[in-house]
Amino acid sequence: MRNFLAFIQRFRVFLVFAGLQIVALTLYFTFLSYPRTQFLTTASYVNGSLLSVRHQVSKHFALEENNRLLQEENIALRSQLPQSYVQLEKEHLKDSMLAEIDDTLYQQQYSYIPATVINSTHDKRNNYLTLNVGKLHGVERGMGVFSSEGIVGVIHNSNDYYSVVKSCLTENINVDIMIASSGQFGLLKWNGVSPNKGTMWGVSNDLDIKLWSKVVTRGGGGIFPRGLPVGKISKKTPVEGKPLWELTINYAVDYKSLQRVYVIKNLLRVEQEKIEASIPPELDE
Amino acid sequence: MNSLVKHIARFIGLILIQTLVLNQIEIGLGIQIMVYPLFVLLLPVEMKVIPLMLVAFAMGLLIDSMSNTYGLHASSLLLFAYTRPMIFKMFAPRDDYDPLLETHIFDMGRAWFIRVFGILLLIHHFWFFLLEMFRFDEIFYILQKTALSVIISFIFCILLQYLFIRNRKENAI
Repeated sequence: MRNFLAFIQRFRVFLVFAGLQIVALTLYFTFLSYPRTQFLTTASYVNGSLLSVRHQVSKHFALEENNRLLQEENIALRSQLPQSYVQLEKEHLKDSMLAEIDDTLYQQQYSYIPATVINSTHDKRNNYLTLNVGKLHGVERGMGVFSSEGIVGVIHNSNDYYSVVKSCLTENINVDIMIASSGQFGLLKWNGVSPNKGTMWGVSNDLDIKLWSKVVTRGGGGIFPRGLPVGKISKKTPVEGKPLWELTINYAVDYKSLQRVYVIKNLLRVEQEKIEASIPPELDE
Repeated sequence: MNSLVKHIARFIGLILIQTLVLNQIEIGLGIQIMVYPLFVLLLPVEMKVIPLMLVAFAMGLLIDSMSNTYGLHASSLLLFAYTRPMIFKMFAPRDDYDPLLETHIFDMGRAWFIRVFGILLLIHHFWFFLLEMFRFDEIFYILQKTALSVIISFIFCILLQYLFIRNRKENAI
């Protein structure tokens, strides 16, 4: 016993060092994969409010660019309004297109929550964004996030007022995507280096892939609606030993100047999860 | 000025500078500017290792909580605090450290500061990027990030000392 106490006495500095180091590394490696608590993230109340104050100052720097993007999006949306083409198609349709909005044949599946990015990184190995909306605004874990240019990421965790987004610049983002023209689908990954480029995995190499064809979301997991832009294919390289292409995608979103985003709420998600849970596990094998 | 107040002010000031300003600056080439180790370096020489590590750990966690790194900064700053006494001993002046002097560039001289802080910062940055990437096949990218970031962080630390410590001294006299 005395020897043991003497041992602790002698190596106490190293033991304290090792103990604290284990705490830090455990935190790092568990938080990386399982966001279990709110503590120690930018989604906590104190840090969130501090970052909001900073955003109050820095938001004006990119005002002009943001105004332009919002205006472009407004134009795109306005052009889809029924009013936009009532005049032209009056002869073909007996009534105005406005009637279609209340059509019982269509049920709304996605609704959107506007949000502002108050903190973000793009040069780390795993990059996260902090948004100024939280559970009180209806944000929950696993919802998709996109900007007017394309998809941004998935909600990682959230508290009442703030939430953290796992962006497409993280290693295990795994979004279901497809090539818009041919319908070939695969998974989105990130190689951890360039904030402008992602990788598409799982496309069979017996297909002819056209460079610069558009890549969009497939809408498989119920996180993103079908057809949101992801980027364009800029390079194709064969994967060694597998009949697959490795496709490099140039992201449509510029993560360096991202400010306005929308969180996607899937109103039919519970239904989809329920029906998918009923698949018997044997079928997978 | 009371030395406890001075250290608390540095603690808060460096955390705010790091998280609100420097974390937002992205130069490219994987460069990341980290100046908060300066606080641990400037703590009194006679401070024991264990309290030193506890303070460093707390500071690291605070920075982690504001940059979504979940313990990465805490781990690296802890290593910094742990190795500080060894490096200090290695480069001790002939008559040992004067308790009245502080360990900044003005009191200890340029040669001492560049060597001691350079080595400590190198250890800190290398550990940080090693953990962040956690892949040995990208060791050259880790080394590139470390080397470039250490140079820029070092320059920023010197600038901060010229900005704040110099002025305070002149005002005191």
